[in-house]
Amino acid sequence: MERQQRFMSEKDEYRFQHQGAVELLVFNFLLILTILTIWLFKNHRFRFLHETGGAMVYGLIMGLILRYATAPTDIESGTVYDCGKLAFSPSTLLINITDQVYEYKYKREISQHNISPHQGNAILEKMTFDPEIFFNVLLPPIIFHAGYSLKKRHFFQNLGSILTYAFLGTAISCIVIGLIMYGFVKAMVYAGQLKNGDFHFTDCLFFGSLMSATDPVTVLAIFHELHVDLDLYTLLFGESVLNDAVAIVLTYSISIYSPKENPNAFDAAAFFQSVGNFLGIFAGSFAMGSAYAVVTALLTKFTKLCEFPMLETGLFFLLSWSAFLSAEAAGLTGIVAVLFCGVTQAHYTYNNLSLDSKMRTKQLFEFMNFLAENVIFCYMGLALFTFQNHIFNALFILGAFLAIFVARACNIYPLSFLLNLGRKQKIPWNFQHMMMFSGLRGAIAFALAIRDTESQPKQMMFTTTLLLVFFTVWVFGGGTTPMLTWLQIRVGVELEEELKEAPTSHQEANSLEKNTTKTESAWLFRMWYGFDHKYLKPILTHSGPPLTTTLPEWCGPISRLLTSPQAYGEQLKEEDVECIVNQDELAMSYQEQAPSPCRPPASLSLAQKASPQTPSKDNIYEGDLGLGGYELKLEQTPGQSQLN
Amino acid sequence: MNSILSNKNKVLLTLLSIKGPSFRFSCLRFTLAVKFLRRTVCENICLNHSKLLQEGEQRGIGLIVGVILRYGTPATSGHDKSLSCTQEDRAFSTLLVNVSGKFFEYTLKGEISPGKINSVEQNDMLRKVTFDPEVFFNILLPPIIFHAGYSLKKRHFFRNLGSILAYAFLGTAVSCFIIGNLMYGVVKLMKIVGQLSDKFYYTDCLFFGAIISATDPVTVLAIFNELHADVDLYALLFGESVLNDAVAIVLSSSIVAYQPAGLNTHAFDAAAFFKSVGIFLGIFSGSFTMGAVTGVVTALVTKFTKLHCFPLLETALFFLMSWSTFLLAEACGFTGVVAVLFCGITQAHYTYNNLSVESRSRTKQLFEVLHFLAENFIFSYMGLALFTFQKHVFSPVFIIGAFVAIFLGRAAHIYPLSFFLNLGRRHKIGWNFQHMMMFSGLRGAMAFALAIRDTASYARQMMFTTTLLIVFFTVWVIGGGTTPMLSWLNIRVGVDPDQDPPPNNDSFQVLQGDGPDSARGNRTKQESAWLFRLWYSFDHNYLKPILTHSGPPLTTTLPAWCGLLARCLTSPQVYDNQEPLREEDSDFILTEGDLTLTYGGDSTVTANGSSGSHTASTSLEGSRRTKSSSEEVLDRALGMGDQPVSSRGTRLVFPLEDNA
Repeated sequence: MERQQRFMSEKDEYRFQHQGAVELLVFNFLLILTILTIWLFKNHRFRFLHETGGAMVYGLIMGLILRYATAPTDIESGTVYDCGKLAFSPSTLLINITDQVYEYKYKREISQHNISPHQGNAILEKMTFDPEIFFNVLLPPIIFHAGYSLKKRHFFQNLGSILTYAFLGTAISCIVIGLIMYGFVKAMVYAGQLKNGDFHFTDCLFFGSLMSATDPVTVLAIFHELHVDLDLYTLLFGESVLNDAVAIVLTYSISIYSPKENPNAFDAAAFFQSVGNFLGIFAGSFAMGSAYAVVTALLTKFTKLCEFPMLETGLFFLLSWSAFLSAEAAGLTGIVAVLFCGVTQAHYTYNNLSLDSKMRTKQLFEFMNFLAENVIFCYMGLALFTFQNHIFNALFILGAFLAIFVARACNIYPLSFLLNLGRKQKIPWNFQHMMMFSGLRGAIAFALAIRDTESQPKQMMFTTTLLLVFFTVWVFGGGTTPMLTWLQIRVGVELEEELKEAPTSHQEANSLEKNTTKTESAWLFRMWYGFDHKYLKPILTHSGPPLTTTLPEWCGPISRLLTSPQAYGEQLKEEDVECIVNQDELAMSYQEQAPSPCRPPASLSLAQKASPQTPSKDNIYEGDLGLGGYELKLEQTPGQSQLN
Repeated sequence: MNSILSNKNKVLLTLLSIKGPSFRFSCLRFTLAVKFLRRTVCENICLNHSKLLQEGEQRGIGLIVGVILRYGTPATSGHDKSLSCTQEDRAFSTLLVNVSGKFFEYTLKGEISPGKINSVEQNDMLRKVTFDPEVFFNILLPPIIFHAGYSLKKRHFFRNLGSILAYAFLGTAVSCFIIGNLMYGVVKLMKIVGQLSDKFYYTDCLFFGAIISATDPVTVLAIFNELHADVDLYALLFGESVLNDAVAIVLSSSIVAYQPAGLNTHAFDAAAFFKSVGIFLGIFSGSFTMGAVTGVVTALVTKFTKLHCFPLLETALFFLMSWSTFLLAEACGFTGVVAVLFCGITQAHYTYNNLSVESRSRTKQLFEVLHFLAENFIFSYMGLALFTFQKHVFSPVFIIGAFVAIFLGRAAHIYPLSFFLNLGRRHKIGWNFQHMMMFSGLRGAMAFALAIRDTASYARQMMFTTTLLIVFFTVWVIGGGTTPMLSWLNIRVGVDPDQDPPPNNDSFQVLQGDGPDSARGNRTKQESAWLFRLWYSFDHNYLKPILTHSGPPLTTTLPAWCGLLARCLTSPQVYDNQEPLREEDSDFILTEGDLTLTYGGDSTVTANGSSGSHTASTSLEGSRRTKSSSEEVLDRALGMGDQPVSSRGTRLVFPLEDNA
């Protein structure tokens, strides 16, 4: 075994520390370059390359340079020491080397066949992050921001469809990909490219589940810029967000599926254990995330914290982060918890925040999202060259490409057909094609794949995932605009237009929408709406009807305690009851301004246009009669009056 | 399995320490509830109280958590085993260990002195909560320091630049030297008494002097801000404390670098001494240049691109550039924190003017939040460290000596320097100001971070313990005594220069009087030295036009022969601005600094007022203020025709608005 030894004198140690700074610096410069390039593209309305694509290009270039321009001289020690005395792996190791005692920290376990490639280029080694960084540092802000900026109005309107796509669709896609890949693996074994028994069916399913996490950031960014039909946007966005959560938990449950005897045979007990695990983790993470958000909502409601926006922002940030950490500490999935925490925070806490804090939290998470996303995509480009255990297998890659398209088709078309049976407002063909087309893979798939690259199948999967991400982001992302025109999907649906239309066609639109809601969202959702409006909103926010009216008599004291004085005040004015309900819209329209900052006049006019419309009485009554159609209409809200 | 478990522990404990702030919020909430119930005269006091408790409370929570962790968790067995299964004579940075068929990778953490093997942390839990000290320097301190630089109140800062620099450089050196000497006496005494169990050299004493010279009066400044204490005093204290930190870091690292040649490693060696001085100057100027250069680059990038259409991109660029400063300086072997400080100042001075309005508030708020989180984290970690740090060396004599030394050091630094400065200053530093500055010698995050950085030797451990106690004492006692002290020293609070220009600040009257341009020229001349005036005019004539959209166009200020260059560097906006006021340009250039400064002050105070009062009348007041300020502008325009300055001044100094 070849090895070169390096003496770690104090000076070396000093250099060692500063190495970290250099690596980060490289990333910083890549990101700065990306930002400037993106500005150039945006400035010239050049929509073929999204910033994530740009980040990937720069990452690739840097990876190429690092790979081939640096001399692989610096080989670190690859010695293997046998310590028979140890029965387990301690977290700290003290080693006595010629009277100097050094402290070593446990890093990870390495599988046997990785030992020799492990001693590679030291610089490449340095540029490789610990995969857990993705899960602990970079993904949470992205996912939280996604949850926090779900467009609630359309989101709830399409909740049923989104949930179907996310849960059923992901399951279908996972199984289909798994099966197809299993076929290809068999073919590979037949062709002699793979030893029999290396690649189990569970591995294929694992690949299927991690490949099911779609992440159409690029497409969504273009949709947003072009103001594509909001329903389509919501369907895609909601699906992709929930998709990620499902895929993460699914991957985890598949990886813990370990039948007792034959790893290839089906074992009912282990299967049900995995299913139970999936449900348990999902429900637990959901509960954890919402619990933290509810605590935040209560804290912001019952304290006068809104006078100090900075403290408020700090509290908001810390509690959201706590949701992640405590879910991780409890053995659940932090990312899923953070997603639901974000959704709940947007639904309740957001209404309690001061105007300044609303802005601050939005911008803070937007900023973090932007940075984290670009870092991940940049790292992806880098990883293609710096990751040292790539296994390129043409057949497998080909199979994977085929599999994801087939699976996406199996997921979208049949489900859309089924959903269209129930939906009044059908999902048209061009929407279905667009959704089929937008099956991009992104950060989550990459993070899941890089998390475990110990065994050979996992390394093959990682390589394939990387290539799939590259291909989908560049080709599909770049092809979005032509595709939109080709499918004749309405673009330029301005929010303002909708607002303008709203009052004119008020009556019929309203009744129509109410009907759609009725048919569209099932009985369960309507019940949830009612419950939310009557109990949760008043408890957690300053809005909603006072609890004293909605709760039964016997819990009078509690309800009086929990109702904020504002709620009483607002009840006096009839119209305000409606405002409350529409709080969401404010959130939505508000957030509308954030991502498209270069058009401040538009958003301003939006606010001004919205305010003069006096809330029409009928609509209020409709809302009060209360089938949950209320979140469909945008009315004057208290927040907007503050805005002006 | 092991790793999973330890990871969870870490997460949980991070959680615990993170809970600190949220508990604190509930405390704050309580005080606020009280405030709302009473709504009487004591409103302000109560508010102060909560502000004042901010740091203290934080540490209190930290302490409590520390106690729980120390005594409430079982001392799980140390997994550490000293192995002798290697034949190697070198240490690798990575180690692969084969344990019964499985391979594990270990990374080198550090070297341990042989005597400490047994005392390597036994309690697993406690070790998990002990952070790597470099975390402070690499993650927590940069945002704090950057924010400080980014929010320096430029008007008063530049007016008092000479004094601030004198306090920061000379003062820190004096204080370091005096504390070092006094502590050396104490150490000698301890040796005689027999309390010293290990070596303690003179350089160690000086090192202690250097780390403890970094003052950090956050508590006092927060109260000043709340009460609107005299702005000059505020600027002096804030400027001193900010630059102080930079000086102290570099000073301590150059003292560490002092290694005399020859056998006697702790005797005085002129060559080594001068080498240390050289290192000090080199690192300081290097970091300064690094920070300033990246600031300038950011300014140029934001000026020549149309990035302000996309505030998100702009903010991200700003953040990344500022962070790069830090990394670049660290990678080059300079001090990242110092570089970041000067980067912050440069960014505020130039780049800020190029940013879009939204980006301005975004960057401000972003760094404010980061600063807030980092600061509270450090303070709560301090409380935790008192119990979780395992190598405390409490030595009463040393601690008492240190307390005496820091007060003497502070006194020997403030009073003589103020005396000398008063010889040169027109606008003297009053006795009560001097007492207040003497009193505000709090120690905070920087001293703690410097002390925790190296706790390998006995002397360093003793220093760390002492520093911790000093920080506790000064923040709780002195921080708590600020308000009484202010009233006892008769320092004017509630200064609102917008309403009534303070009598000590006669530049206002000069400004509004009927145009004695010469008088003002004299004042400027006398107050700021020749060098600073030169800098002002250079800044205004060349740097501002090159780096920002404001200032006179370069084509007028640069000599004719570089016309092409000038034209290409001047932004089109400047010509637009300049068109109507070409004639008047010439006479305000010299005074630009002053005017900018005054304007900055105005807007600052407006911001203070509205954020402090929180009453319904804010908007009313606001409108009144704008009216009055527009009158002022008119006055000025009538006076000496430098309306352009004020209008441009708005833009230049807008950054300061949020400083409150």
